[in-house]
Amino acid sequence: MGMLMSTRMSPESAPRTEQLVLLLSQNQQPLFRYIFSLVACEADARDILQETSLALCRKFADYDGSRPFLPWAYRFAYLQVQKHRDKGARSLLVFGEDVMDLLSRDRERMEPELDVRLQFLDLCLGKLTPQDKELVTSRYGLREGVDAMMQRFAMSRRTLFRNLELVRERLHDCVTRQLRSEGLS
Amino acid sequence: MNLTTLIHAKLDGEITAEQHAQLEALLRDDWQVRRLYLELADQHARLLEDPAVNTGRFKPPSVIAREVHWRMWTFVATAAAIVLLVFLVWPGAVVDKEPKSNGVAMVSQTLDAEFAQAAVRGGDTIAPGSLALKKGLAQIEFFSGATVLIEGVTEIEIISSWEARCVSGRVRVHVPPAARGFLMHAPDLKLEDLGTEFALNVTGQHSAVHVFDGEVIAHEKGKEPAKLKVGMSMPSKTTGVSTGEFLPISELQGLIRQREQRRFQQWQARSEEVSKDPRLAAYYTFEHSADDRWERLVGNFGSFERKERAGGAVGAQWTQGRWPGKGALEFKRPGDRVRMNVDGTYAALTLACWVKVDSVDKKYNSLLLTDGYESGEPHWQIYEDGSLMFSIGYAAAGQRRITSKTNQIHYSTPVFTADSLGRWHHLAVTYENASGTVVQYFDGREVGREVSVLHEPGRPIVFGPCELGNWGLPTQGHQFPIRTLNGAIDEFAIYEAVVSAAEIREIFEGGKPK
Repeated sequence: MGMLMSTRMSPESAPRTEQLVLLLSQNQQPLFRYIFSLVACEADARDILQETSLALCRKFADYDGSRPFLPWAYRFAYLQVQKHRDKGARSLLVFGEDVMDLLSRDRERMEPELDVRLQFLDLCLGKLTPQDKELVTSRYGLREGVDAMMQRFAMSRRTLFRNLELVRERLHDCVTRQLRSEGLS
Repeated sequence: MNLTTLIHAKLDGEITAEQHAQLEALLRDDWQVRRLYLELADQHARLLEDPAVNTGRFKPPSVIAREVHWRMWTFVATAAAIVLLVFLVWPGAVVDKEPKSNGVAMVSQTLDAEFAQAAVRGGDTIAPGSLALKKGLAQIEFFSGATVLIEGVTEIEIISSWEARCVSGRVRVHVPPAARGFLMHAPDLKLEDLGTEFALNVTGQHSAVHVFDGEVIAHEKGKEPAKLKVGMSMPSKTTGVSTGEFLPISELQGLIRQREQRRFQQWQARSEEVSKDPRLAAYYTFEHSADDRWERLVGNFGSFERKERAGGAVGAQWTQGRWPGKGALEFKRPGDRVRMNVDGTYAALTLACWVKVDSVDKKYNSLLLTDGYESGEPHWQIYEDGSLMFSIGYAAAGQRRITSKTNQIHYSTPVFTADSLGRWHHLAVTYENASGTVVQYFDGREVGREVSVLHEPGRPIVFGPCELGNWGLPTQGHQFPIRTLNGAIDEFAIYEAVVSAAEIREIFEGGKPK
C-alpha cells in the first residue's frame, strides 16, 4: 500500500493534483449541502467541510477516476460528521447516528431530485415580494445577526423567525409547484 | 408545534432539546418526514451558499454531470407520471397524509381503446370532466353502480357518479337497481334511467335512443316527460338507431376474453422458448398442475428441468395470473411464501418476474430473499417508498456478518405509486461480479444503474435456501420481521447470466397482459 502511494506521488501526479483541485472546487457546494443536511448548523458544517477536504486530499490516491466522485467523497464527509459528533459536540441538539445514517441514505437517493429543486429555487427567489426578498438578503446575503435583523425589520424575535419560516415555506411550495408543472409539459 | 415549524426551528438553531427529541423521533420513523426535512435543509444550505436572488442559473458541468443528467430525467419522467395521475385523480393536487380522491367512476375494461387523454388506461379512476375515446371500446363503471359502454369516436362528460352527458358518439348504459335514477344528458334531451339498459346515439344536435330492457324517462326540452319501454326508440321513426348497431355489454366481455385467451396462448408459446434458454438457473411459471394433489408444488421449468429446484408454496394461495387460466400465487399473510433451494455458485445473475403489487405496506416487501443474509447472497425487495431494492453484501475479513458498512444496496427510482399498484408489472435486475454493475428494470425500461462503492471484482454469488414473497425461516423462539409481499407473482426466472436490456424489453413486450 505504501509503495503504491509513493509511486503516485511522483511527477506524474501533477495532473492528478490538478484533477483533485478541480473536483474539490466543483463539488464544494454539493458537499456542503450533504454535510449540512446531517448537522443542520452552518458553522459546524463549514468546519466539517474543511476536515473532509483534507481527508479527501490525503486519500485521493485511492480514488478511482472512472467512478463518480461525489458518492466516494460523501463517505469521507459522513465519517468526518461522526468524528465531529464524538468530539464532545455530542449535545442534545445533534442527531443520533441512526438518524444520520437514515438521512444520509435517503439523501443520496433523493439527490437528483434535490438538484432539480435547486434549479427551480433560483426562479422562485425571483418571484418573492420585495419584503420577502429583503428578508432573504438580510439573513443569507448580508449574514445579519438576529439582533440586527430584529432592529431592521422592527420585529420581535418570535415574529422574525416566524417570517423566515414563512418565506422558506413559500419558496419550498413554489419549487414543488414548478416541479409539477414542469413534469406536465 | 407542527412538523414544519420543528424543522425550521432546527435550521434556525432555535430548537429546544425537547423539540429536538420530538423531531428526531419523527425523522426516525417516517421516510416522508425525512424527505421533507431533506428538501428544506437542502434549500437552506443552498441559500447559505449562494443567497443571490437571481434567475435561471445552472450548475457548472462536473464529472458527474452526465450521470446526474440521466438520473434527473428519469426523475422528471417519474414525476411527470405521478403528476399526471395526481391531476387526473386528485385535481387541486392536495398531497395530504390520507390520500383523497374525487374520482366518481373508473375505466373498468378496454378493448383496443385509444383516448384523447393519453394518460387514461384501463383500471384508472376518473374525476368529473370530459372523456373522449378516439377508437376501440371502453367500459366506464360509475361509483353509483351504473355502467356505460362507449364505442368508437365518442365524447362523454362525466358529471358525477350519478350523471353524465353524451356529447357525441355512441353509448350504451346499463343501470342496476341500486343506481336507479342515473341521468344521461344528450343535446336537448335528458334520460332518467329506471333500472334498465338503453343505447344512445348522438350526431351533432341529433340524439336517438333505444331501450333494450326496463324503462327510461325521456325529458325533452319543452315537452312532457315520456316513458320509453322495452323495444321503443326515440325519435319513434328512428333513423339514428338500429338495435344491431350497439354492442351489448355482455359481448364486450366475450371479446375481451378472446383477446386475453390469445395473449395467454402467445405467452405460452414464448414461455416454451424461454424455458430452453441454457442461461436459466430456475424458471417458475406458476402453472398449477392438475396432478399435484397437495397443490403446493411450484414447478421449475428451466432448461435442465432441475426437479430439485422446484419450489414449495407455504400458505400462499393459487389465484388468477395475468390472464384467465394463467396461475399465480398470492401472498398476503405473514407466513405466505414459496420455498426454494438454488444450489451453485455464480458470477452473474438476472432476476425477472411478473408481479402484481396490491400495496407497499411494509418497510421491506420481499420479492426474492435468501435465508439470512450472508456473503454473496442476493436480496431483492421493494422498499417502502416504492423503489426496487437489490442488495448483496460481503462480510469484512474476519467477520461473519454483513453490516451497514459492507452492505451494497442499490435502489431504483420509485416505481410503485398509486398508479402502478394493483396491476401486473415486469420487474428485473441484472448483476455481474466483474464490473459490479447493477441494472434495474420496470416494465422493460431501465430505472436504475449503479456500481457500489464497496464493489470488489470476482466475488461469488450464491443463493442456497431462499424464498419468494417473504424472508427467511425464523430460528426457534425468535421473532422475525414481517416482509411478506402484498400481492401476487405469476412468473419468476433466475438466470445465471446478465440478460441484455433488449431481451428484457422483449420479455416485457411478449408477456404484458394487454
